[in-house]
Amino acid sequence: MHDKGKITAYQMALMIYPTIYATAVLMVPEITGQYVGRDSWAAPILGSLNGFFTAYVLYKLHKMYPNESLIQYSKHIIGPFLSKILGLFYLFFFLYMCGFILKEYSFFIGISLLPKTPMIAIIGSVVIMASLAITGGVEILGRASQLFVPIFILPIPIFTIMLLKDLDPKNVLPILEHGLLPLLQGSAAPQAWFSEVFLISMFLPFLKDPEKGLKWSFISLFAVLLSLVSLNLLTTFLFGEMTASYTFPVFKAVRIISLSDFFEHLEAGIITIWILGAYIKITVFYYALVLGTAQWLNLSDFKPIVLPFGLLISLFAIWEFANLQEQFEFSKFIFPFYVPFMLTVLPTILLIIAKIRTRNTMKKEPPRISNY
Amino acid sequence: MFRILKKRPQKQHPYEGRSNRNLPLSSELDKNLQILKSIYMGCIDVIYHPFLIAGKTKALLVYIDGLSDTEQIDSSVLAPLMSKTIDKSITLQGTCEKIQLSNIRVVKTYDDCIMNISNGNPILLMEHEEQGAALGLAKWEKRSIKEPESESVIRGPREGFVETLGVNISMLRRKIRSPNLKMKKMNIGSYSNTSVIIAYIEGIANQSLIDEVQNRLQKVEIDSVLESGYIEELIEDNVFSPFPQLLDTERPDVASANLMEGRVVILVDGTPFVLIAPVSFFSFFQAPDDYYQRYLISSVIRIMRLFFMLISVFLPSLYVAVSSFHQEMVPTILLLSMASLRESVPFTALIEALIMEIVFEALREAGLRLPKQVGAAVSIVGALVIGQAAVQAGLVSPLMVIVVAITGIASFMVPRYSEGIALRLIRFPIMMLAGTMGLHGLVLGFIGIAIHLCKLRSFGVPYLSPIAPTIGREMKDAFIRSPWWMLNTRPHLTGRFNKYRQAPNQQPKPKK
Repeated sequence: MHDKGKITAYQMALMIYPTIYATAVLMVPEITGQYVGRDSWAAPILGSLNGFFTAYVLYKLHKMYPNESLIQYSKHIIGPFLSKILGLFYLFFFLYMCGFILKEYSFFIGISLLPKTPMIAIIGSVVIMASLAITGGVEILGRASQLFVPIFILPIPIFTIMLLKDLDPKNVLPILEHGLLPLLQGSAAPQAWFSEVFLISMFLPFLKDPEKGLKWSFISLFAVLLSLVSLNLLTTFLFGEMTASYTFPVFKAVRIISLSDFFEHLEAGIITIWILGAYIKITVFYYALVLGTAQWLNLSDFKPIVLPFGLLISLFAIWEFANLQEQFEFSKFIFPFYVPFMLTVLPTILLIIAKIRTRNTMKKEPPRISNY
Repeated sequence: MFRILKKRPQKQHPYEGRSNRNLPLSSELDKNLQILKSIYMGCIDVIYHPFLIAGKTKALLVYIDGLSDTEQIDSSVLAPLMSKTIDKSITLQGTCEKIQLSNIRVVKTYDDCIMNISNGNPILLMEHEEQGAALGLAKWEKRSIKEPESESVIRGPREGFVETLGVNISMLRRKIRSPNLKMKKMNIGSYSNTSVIIAYIEGIANQSLIDEVQNRLQKVEIDSVLESGYIEELIEDNVFSPFPQLLDTERPDVASANLMEGRVVILVDGTPFVLIAPVSFFSFFQAPDDYYQRYLISSVIRIMRLFFMLISVFLPSLYVAVSSFHQEMVPTILLLSMASLRESVPFTALIEALIMEIVFEALREAGLRLPKQVGAAVSIVGALVIGQAAVQAGLVSPLMVIVVAITGIASFMVPRYSEGIALRLIRFPIMMLAGTMGLHGLVLGFIGIAIHLCKLRSFGVPYLSPIAPTIGREMKDAFIRSPWWMLNTRPHLTGRFNKYRQAPNQQPKPKK
């Protein structure tokens, strides 16, 4: 075991929630809005199906090999050689995703809070803070998310109430004006984000109460679904068809808030709170990368490689995407296929192979799978 | 150059540790006297009083002037022994029966003798006896029990611990009369030989916690323990943290309340401050009167305390961040007045905040140790310098003065000094972060502190419990203080071995 810490399923759920939601809130409303317009609230509902499916697949795999992560148990399924290659794919994917999230983070912070600050300062400071948490292990991640996520969720209801007088529910009508096809296209991006629930496979082995793992993953996914639907409804009620024309429409919505002509321009406040969620997301992917590498290389401890990988992900963040538009294009056209392929399709194939293999071994010799 | 790479031989640490004088006493009185005199050579306060028991047997009384009750020695020891009425039994046993004292112990080695003499118990030695008697006559000047000044309460007991260990133990025993209140004694300090006592309640405190405290205390090897702060730094979990990991208190009621929640109290002789372990972040925000006042008031005050704790840490940083990076957050009218006020100030907001905060800290520290008469002068000068002159001279803006004043008041709302000073310290790095990266830096500072607090433990108990890790049922005594009829269970992490502290359903209701 590389990390002796133990977390509860509830803590895991709190980690997964911002892992999906923190960047989804930036990109998804705009991307879905471009396809489905005023029906954008329905897109996350379709997209979430993939999330529930992915969580189910990984939970099933976890049940077969309870004490190992995907990088470790794949060798029981497809053999040591292929599993090392698969592990390398995943590690590279995590590395890429860390860079992807960090880049998105630095674009967003750069545009909204610190226009003159060099990107490397934003990325570097966050990576240092993230490595601080990771050296503490999974227990610290769990506790940090228990501390941050409630603060992160809080603004949604508060700002909804503050915006209440500007909302126009008629904007959402007529429903499904152009048929189902745009909706399916629009749900491509959310389903990619929902497939990030894959990261439970890194945390399930650390659970004190593994039997509650699936339940809490589903609760977490449901919370994300609820948040995305309500936010899409909110922006549609506010802007109608215009939603897609704004970059970061959710933050545009916050900008409109004006209470008694005194509380205005609250977006800086909401962005500071958003940082907490984004921080958890970065930390979770970073941790998956570092822990996965330690497992892949059979290292006894993951702590010495935390800082070197911090440098690496900072570099990846700088190398990926020259500007925000490029990242948006990527998120729109490549992300919905690339990410679910790694996070949903491959585990499903693994599960199928594992099921077939266990059925074969079951025929030969009665149960010994549960030993794993 | 390669010599550097070579492993150096481990140096023998020059610390000698405890000297070993475990020699048994001799049967010759003169030899005993000679050895004791050689041990106490140069100690002018040691008194050797030779006398004859019943006019026949030679005997010797050794004690330190000022540590023993001389009146009692004269009346209860010397008077009965020197009278001629003793005839047959001139053994130590027989002699001790004649002494009118309840507390007599037999000593057999020089080490025992020295220990007793140093504690104020006179030693009685006799000719032809290989053992002596230690007479429990220790008595020295002690401070009377007074209300602790650093922990005053509106409502609650007005007594505080004193410097004498025996008195402190009796004060605990007076609060908790059950025989389950147990104490383990050990001596720490090779020179000072200070008594340290671990108090706990059997059946409530976790046995492994008691063992852990004892183990850590046994590992301490130091020449002297003059205050419980010495021990605190030698047994805490994370030595590089500004946050206190043991609670110190002067109040017997606080110590007793913590004992009842399954914690361990460490009493050190010579100081009124006792240590309590394990504690969490929220223990430092629980004032004693929270539990004596009405719960609604206490709850509101406690929430206010936590809110102002956040203010005291983040308000100057927020001001720096907003005024130098995010002016758009400020409502327009306020922004205009802010700009006009800051117009004459030559510094950036960060420098301005740093100057004022450092001056404030200096004033606080200067006023702290001064006699009360001079302290008032410091505060007047401080108020004039900070408040008016600095603004009129155009050094700082009036807004900054308000911010510093609010921060100062807020930081004094933390009931525990040790935690308050830690929180005051960490606001400086956050100010720097806010001055370089605005709100982003402020949030990163918050994250850094939060992660550090998540990592901290106090004797195995997570420092941020009950919020991280979240323990729902413990919230009843963290942000709010629930009414007593709801505080049915002890805190989970320390008191789970004896879960219930009172009968359920005690909420007062009218009879049906």
